[in-house]
Amino acid sequence: MPVNFQTLKGQIEEMGRQQPAVQKDLQDKLQRALQVLRAYSEDLPAVETRLGVALVGHDELRCAAPASEALAARFPAPPLPPEAVVLAADGSQINPNRHARVEFSLVNVGAVCFPQAKETIKTRLIYHDDLYINGGMISEEVVALRRDLEERRRLVELARDTQGGVVVTLTDGQLELYRTPQRNAEFDHALKDYMEVLRQLRTLSTAAAGYVDRPRSDLVVRLLEILSLPSHEVDQAGRARPFMPLYDRLLFEHVLTEPGDRSAVFAIHSESLKEFTGDLALHFFYLNVGQGQQPYLARVEIPAWVAESRLLLNTLHAVLYSQSRLMSSRPYPYVLHRAHEVAVVTQKDQMEIEDLIVAEMMRNGIWDLRTSNKQSAKDLPGRNMRK
Amino acid sequence: MSVEAIEIGRLLRGSTRGFVAGCRVSQLDVPAFGSLVRAPLQAGYQVFGLIYDMRIDDDGMVRQLAVTDEVPDYVVHDNRLNRNVPVELSVLAVGYELGGKISHMLPPRPPLCLDLIYLCSPQEICAFTNHGRFGYLRHLLQNKDVPLGELAAAHFQQTGAAQASCGKADWLTRATAELIVLLRDDYPTLMGVLGALSELNTEA
Repeated sequence: MPVNFQTLKGQIEEMGRQQPAVQKDLQDKLQRALQVLRAYSEDLPAVETRLGVALVGHDELRCAAPASEALAARFPAPPLPPEAVVLAADGSQINPNRHARVEFSLVNVGAVCFPQAKETIKTRLIYHDDLYINGGMISEEVVALRRDLEERRRLVELARDTQGGVVVTLTDGQLELYRTPQRNAEFDHALKDYMEVLRQLRTLSTAAAGYVDRPRSDLVVRLLEILSLPSHEVDQAGRARPFMPLYDRLLFEHVLTEPGDRSAVFAIHSESLKEFTGDLALHFFYLNVGQGQQPYLARVEIPAWVAESRLLLNTLHAVLYSQSRLMSSRPYPYVLHRAHEVAVVTQKDQMEIEDLIVAEMMRNGIWDLRTSNKQSAKDLPGRNMRK
Repeated sequence: MSVEAIEIGRLLRGSTRGFVAGCRVSQLDVPAFGSLVRAPLQAGYQVFGLIYDMRIDDDGMVRQLAVTDEVPDYVVHDNRLNRNVPVELSVLAVGYELGGKISHMLPPRPPLCLDLIYLCSPQEICAFTNHGRFGYLRHLLQNKDVPLGELAAAHFQQTGAAQASCGKADWLTRATAELIVLLRDDYPTLMGVLGALSELNTEA
C-alpha cells in the first residue's frame, strides 16, 4: 500500500468539514478588501502618502504601488492592431543527475513568431567544466537561471530580425529572472546579462511581458492591508496581514467583470527588484481572459517603458486577449503554448540524448558507464500489489 | 525511368505488403487517392504501390481550436505547417522493378525509412500497368483493409487517362473486364466495385 488511506480518509473528511468556514472567512475578507480598494481608488495621492509612511524603515516591504491609473479602474480590450508581431520563447532543461550513466545537462529554448508561423529551437549541451561552479556540480536552480536567460536572449535576436508593427515579446511566468534561494556570483552575473537583454528589448521598442497564468500573488492585497491599518499602526505594515489568505486574483475577479478587461497598471515595491529601475522598473496588471460570466484572470508583468506607452500597453493588452481566446474554453495565449510545445524536452528525449552521449563515450573508449546502484534499484520492476 | 520525378514524401514505416509515407501539407496537392507511386531503393530496384488512404492526425490542441469562434489564418497555417505533421499516405505494394524488369508480385524487400517516394509519371504508369495481364490487381482484391471499389475506380480513372495519352484508349475496358473475371465468384463485392466504376462513366 503506497499511502495509508485509512489515516488519510479522516484527514480528508476534516478538510472538507472546515471548508465552508474557510470560504466564509475568505468572503468576509474579500468584501472588506473591496471596500478599501474602492474607497482609495481615485485618491492616489492619499495612497502614496500612506505608502510612503509605511515604507519608512521598512525597505523589505513587498507590495503594489499605484502608477497613474485609479486602483479599481478597468479597461476594455482595445482593437487588435493587424500589423502586430508576436514573439514567444519558452525553455526546457535536463538537470544534471549524478545517478545517471553520464553527467550532463541541457537547455532547450523554443521560440515562435506570429503571424509568420515560424518556429525555431536552440539546444545547448552543458558538460565537462561547464557543469561545475564553485567547486561543485551546478544545481537545478542554476540550470533554470541559464534557461531563463537564454529565453530572453532569443527574444532579442528574433525581435531584431522582425519588421512591421509593434513587436510583442512574451515569456511564461514573471518577468523577473528566476531567483536562486541564495544570491551568488552566478546569479549576479546572469542578472547583469538579463538587465542588458531588457535594455536591448527597450531599445527595440518591444512590448515585453511575462504572462502568469492562475496567479497567486497578493501585492495589491498587501497594499490594501497597509491602507486599512489605523494611522497609529502603520508601523505594522507587512506584519499585520488582516486580509490573509486573500490574493489579488480573487479581488480583481470582482473588478474585471467583462472578458478582455484589464486592471490598472501597478508598480511593484520590492527589495528583490531594486536593480530594476527607471525604464526597467517592473509593473503589472491583471487581465480577464475568461468568457461570458466566467472570469479567468492572468497577471501580466511589464517593464516601465511598456507601462508608460499607451501604444505598447494597448497592443499587448489586445494581443494577449486575442491569443487567449484562441484556446476557447481554457484561455491561455496560443503563442506561449506553441513555444512550450517547441521547447519541451520529454522523458523520451532525455533517454535518447543520454543514449547518444553514452554511444559517443564508448566510441572514444569510455566503457565504465553505469547508473548508480540506487538508480538501478529504482529502475527494477517494482512490486505490484494492486493486481 | 522518369523524366521529371515528383517527390511526394519519405517513408515512415513499411512492410513487404505496403508502406506509409509522410509528407508536408505543402506537398499534399500532388498525390491523390488511387495514385501509383514508386520508391526507388537502389540502382535498378524500385517498389510500386497504390495510395489507398491519407491520414491527418488531430490532437488536443486541434480539437480545442476547432470549437473556437474564429481561427485566424496564421493559426491554421501554423497547425498545418508546424503541427500534426507529417500527413500520412498509406500505400499498398502492388509490384516492383528489378534490373529493368517489372513484376506484379510483392517486392522482395520493402523500402527503408526515409526513402523518397515519387509519384509515377504517365509513362511509368503505362509501363507498370501494361506489364503482364493485370496481375497487380490481385493485391487489391486480397487486402481487406482497402476500400476496394473506390480504390479501383480512382486508380482506373487516373490510369485510363495515362493510358489514353500513351495511345491505349481500350485499357480501361480491358482492366474492367479483368476485374469482373477476378471477382466472378464474389457477387456482392463485384457489384460494389462495378457500382464505383460506374461513377467514372457518370463523371465523364
